[in-house]
Amino acid sequence: MKKINRINKIAAALLAAIVFLLVPAEAVQAEELPYDTYNYNYREDFVITPAAYVPNGSVTGLSVGTTDFKEPQDFCVAPDGLVYVADTGNNRIVVLNHEMTEMVREISTFDRNGTADTFNAPYGVCVSENMELYVADSNNRRVVVLTPEGEFVKIVDNPQSEILEENFEFIPLKVTVDYADRVYVIAKNAFEGILVFESNGEFTGYFGTIEVKITLWEKFWRRLASKEERSKSQLYIPTEFTGIDVDDGGFIYASNIDSEGVQAVRRLNPQGKDVIQKGENGNVGGDILTGMYGDYSGPSQITDVVYRDKGIYSLLDRRRGRIFTYDKEGNLLYIFGGLGSQEGTFNVPVAIESIDGEIIVLDAYYGAILRFKETRYGSLINEAVGLRFDGDETEAIEKWQEVLRLDGNNELANTGIGKAYLTAGNNRLAMEYLELGMNRKYYSIAWKRYRNELLAKNMNMIMTVVVVLIIAWVVYRKLRKKKKGKADGEGGLI
Amino acid sequence: MKQLFSKDKWKYAFYTVSHPADGYYEIRHRERGSVPIAVLLVILFSISFSINRISASFIVNDIDPLTINLLSELVSVLLLYLLFCVGNWSITCLMNGEGRLKDIAIALGYAMIPMIVCMNIGTIFSHAVAADEGAFYYMIIGIGIAYGVFMMLVGVMEVHNYTLGKTLITIFLTFVAIFIIIFVVLLVMDLINQVIGFFYSIYQELIFRA
Repeated sequence: MKKINRINKIAAALLAAIVFLLVPAEAVQAEELPYDTYNYNYREDFVITPAAYVPNGSVTGLSVGTTDFKEPQDFCVAPDGLVYVADTGNNRIVVLNHEMTEMVREISTFDRNGTADTFNAPYGVCVSENMELYVADSNNRRVVVLTPEGEFVKIVDNPQSEILEENFEFIPLKVTVDYADRVYVIAKNAFEGILVFESNGEFTGYFGTIEVKITLWEKFWRRLASKEERSKSQLYIPTEFTGIDVDDGGFIYASNIDSEGVQAVRRLNPQGKDVIQKGENGNVGGDILTGMYGDYSGPSQITDVVYRDKGIYSLLDRRRGRIFTYDKEGNLLYIFGGLGSQEGTFNVPVAIESIDGEIIVLDAYYGAILRFKETRYGSLINEAVGLRFDGDETEAIEKWQEVLRLDGNNELANTGIGKAYLTAGNNRLAMEYLELGMNRKYYSIAWKRYRNELLAKNMNMIMTVVVVLIIAWVVYRKLRKKKKGKADGEGGLI
Repeated sequence: MKQLFSKDKWKYAFYTVSHPADGYYEIRHRERGSVPIAVLLVILFSISFSINRISASFIVNDIDPLTINLLSELVSVLLLYLLFCVGNWSITCLMNGEGRLKDIAIALGYAMIPMIVCMNIGTIFSHAVAADEGAFYYMIIGIGIAYGVFMMLVGVMEVHNYTLGKTLITIFLTFVAIFIIIFVVLLVMDLINQVIGFFYSIYQELIFRA
């Protein structure tokens, strides 16, 4: 008996060991990540999800065969796949190959009509569709346009207009270019919006001005305050834009720091009107739950935006080092990233780009580009959202079903499947999934159709029951009258 | 007990719904009401209120079911009922009201009937509406609440033999009285806590010295 017990024990121990060895192999990925991947559900609660992106190494100046980057502020992926880094502290532009393994060339001087010229704190960089390199040369107060090889093309500087203040100093920070070679510049202290230059270098005006919101309460206090007090109190100036990108259709994505945490990105049409779509919760401002106290709390401070593909765009938050990804409709897809000193975390993240399905982030403090590659979960969501963007909802259903296998509570996946069932005409199943996805609008549509279906199917029965009830009621009344009449002794009269 | 729950009393509760003024008058003067039925109706109201929010259709219901606790809601509704009865009673005593505490309790309790009926009808009906027909659902609930409030008003008026103006004033004062009651209760609780704390510290002192 004892022997058997012992054998049992050994077997149990072995089994436990096997389980122990097997299980972590699956879970290891999530546990080793220096950050959580999460999302907000319909109730605006915090929900941890599987990792969408995982760290995939980093790129420093040394690793590409040059001196280290010194406070780089911006980078950009050119249409031909090369990566241009504005190495602000070293006054140069570093061009990396597509894999970011080595430096292709370094641009620190350029030949301007016979004289050598240099950069002074190049803050922003962008390569246009026509393969021209735009550098926001901040301390020289100009935007320098070069060929990718570093040949001088032109200079955009010194905007002249009545709408500019008299002593306005043009200090360009970020720059981007659309398909018509219009130059969009975010300049320091230009609170009125983004400066737009025509391709010939002429300043045409401000673009996408953020309106200042003054609450009724503030107005009330201002009315009460004396003139001196009013001059002492801070001015209500709009927030500045922080980052800028342009999508395939020429719409400008511009990020800004929103002290309310509601809208940190704008999608500006050619007239400069904000046409961004907000999701169910009306929030495109990063974190919804932001904490109350301490340095780590407060609304997200979005420093840069990247338009990725099929309407998907990502925002970079410098307060908590997080990356928020939204789809075209303003739904949050996934949130990941964090501050820290482990690999895959940031200290001062300044710019974000996407390259081949990777998300890359430039950190000014580490002087490094941090790479993140998509996991199966992340790529499934991206593909499904992409398919929906293309109008291929039935194709997307398979992707969403796989997403559900990894993350059963994913509301977008449930909604996606529900909508696909709705188009396929399966209203009963559509209702089930749409309720899980908390999509009231489409649930209502599904229910309406299902209700009609039910009515049509059971019309005969319903009508029969109604007719029978009416007859029964008439008969009952007649019988009652008779009875009553008899009781009153007048039965013979009826 | 049997008499209090008799068929006649139940019938009379519904008669009050259809004839509020007459009904409440006879409750005061001919003992036709029943306090247990009134309390039961308040309990039923609390339950149907909670059930409405838990199981009304997803289309018209935006409440997280996890946040609803049937029992704690029942306790708070009953507590509010008690507070209102006592508050109203203490005010009307000073303002020549004819009603007894019993009559006030019945008046309020019977006013729950339209709310109970409409809440439950609404809950069932909500499963038949689509989003653009949600107005009907809100109308049903709204009618229930409006009629309930109307009955409460008539109830207080008839039971105390007040004019409408005086009723409204007493109801306002009732709320003031409720706040005073809550304030006093909290004060007493705090005081008791401090007394307990005092004796506890004496006890601790003795234990440590000994």
